[in-house]
Amino acid sequence: MRMMNWICVAVLAVVVGCGEKPTAEGPDAAEVAAASALYVAEAEPEGAVGVGEARESVETDQAVTLVGRIGGSSKPFVEGLAAFTIVDPKVPYCADDEGCPTPWDYCCTQPQVKENIATVKVVDADGGPVAFDARKLLNVKELSTVVVQGTANRDDQGNLTVAANKVFVRAE
Amino acid sequence: MLLPWEYGVRNLARRPVRTGLTLLALATVVMLVFVVVGFIRGLEQSLSVSGDDDVVLVYSVNSEENIENSSIAARSPALLSASLGGTWKRFGVDHVSPELYLGTRVSTSDQENGLGLVRGVTYRAPLVRRNVKIIDGAWPEQNEVIVGRLASAKLGSHSDALAIGQTIQFEGETWTVSGHFAADGAAYESEIWCDLSAFQTVTKRQDLSLVAMLLAPGASAAEIELFCKERTDLELRALRESDYYASLQQHYRPVRLLAWFVVALVSGAGVFAGLNMMYGAVAGRIRELATLQALGFRRRAILLSLVQEGVLLAAAASLLSGVIALTMLNGLAVRFTMGAFTLRIDSVAILVGCGVGLLLGVLGALPPALKALRESVAISLKAV
Repeated sequence: MRMMNWICVAVLAVVVGCGEKPTAEGPDAAEVAAASALYVAEAEPEGAVGVGEARESVETDQAVTLVGRIGGSSKPFVEGLAAFTIVDPKVPYCADDEGCPTPWDYCCTQPQVKENIATVKVVDADGGPVAFDARKLLNVKELSTVVVQGTANRDDQGNLTVAANKVFVRAE
Repeated sequence: MLLPWEYGVRNLARRPVRTGLTLLALATVVMLVFVVVGFIRGLEQSLSVSGDDDVVLVYSVNSEENIENSSIAARSPALLSASLGGTWKRFGVDHVSPELYLGTRVSTSDQENGLGLVRGVTYRAPLVRRNVKIIDGAWPEQNEVIVGRLASAKLGSHSDALAIGQTIQFEGETWTVSGHFAADGAAYESEIWCDLSAFQTVTKRQDLSLVAMLLAPGASAAEIELFCKERTDLELRALRESDYYASLQQHYRPVRLLAWFVVALVSGAGVFAGLNMMYGAVAGRIRELATLQALGFRRRAILLSLVQEGVLLAAAASLLSGVIALTMLNGLAVRFTMGAFTLRIDSVAILVGCGVGLLLGVLGALPPALKALRESVAISLKAV
């Protein structure tokens, strides 16, 4: 009996010793749902323009409504922030039958992507990026088509960033 | 009634040659298990200690997961420092390390054209790579290099060839070793570090491979990642160093799976070797076992005694191999594609090695013992 006790203690020690480290807990579902209600638009905003067109005409601090597909690189989402890149829907991506594992990186059409890409960051009332992962906050994934409303920011190199306050996700 | 403990122990000593050979076979199997598990644990340890959660690597988005293929503009460090406030800064120095990283042919006094990993760095590199310690010598000046603890293993060269004052050749230039560094077993230990500008001059390059940035307390890697997304013209990507090495762990997953498969194969072969030995050992003792039954010992008691012999032998073999592995294998440098690492005989390796050893003892002894005891006592007593 005593031997059995020792064996149990040894097994427990091994199991406890080999256990994985507890990971940092992310935001719970209720927090994400509450934040989601603030930023997800119920109806599609009107007058959305493609990213390519916006890059040619939009100025800094101008209100814009953009439509685009999430993608442009193998990892279009920023981890831990509600931010991602979108590509103009007119730019084609690899078709399903081509067998590309990451069609959202537009590997076959990269030269077109350079002039048709924008960064979207969902911002709070203070203008800071919302600290939730966009995939959870907006329930989106790579190649989801989104319509974003917000304020444009252009830099000298022609990059376009939209500080979005509303995002509509088109049904696939 | 069980057979006395001493009966099994003395039986081992009755046939010293057979016992010695069995011990040797079992010890060899357990040693092979130690080598393979030590390899897996060393590789895992090297990759897990290489990444610092507070360090973010910024490199080319076109290089996929391989920093060696990355090429970014030389102005990137200044641009990142000016645009982001989340990096650590002390005494007016930003903890931002511009680096040029290259796999190239390196010749030492005893090895021509070994494949080495060279990193051009500035004095800021140790500020960011906090586990790097100069263990002897000094920080390199122009046309000098400081070499990692495992650089000689990576080059396939003797450590004396990289002693302080020795010269090595790469990229058409001769460099003098000014010192040695260690990094708690991290991947950089297999690298050669030299002055960034000198390295750029000899390689005729003006670009960088990456910028390593140490985050200030409370700062987030996501800010740097967002900056890289916003500046699409720079074609940069940012990744925590720990995530970079975690992705390498994934990259080497097939190697690790294959190594565990080798452990299973070696263990299986060991079981068959043990079975062979124990069949031989029991076959010559059928009359003895029948006599024990005739004396009144139950089959279960005799079976236990035979298993006890097998386990005793396997335990001795495991101990022997364990001592050899700990004293001679632990810390042995192994050359690998990503650099070099040391075999690591840690608690997991000891547990797996000794576990396999004891399993060999039990599994090797059971089938022959059961076979010997299946016959009736009368027939077994007449066995030749």
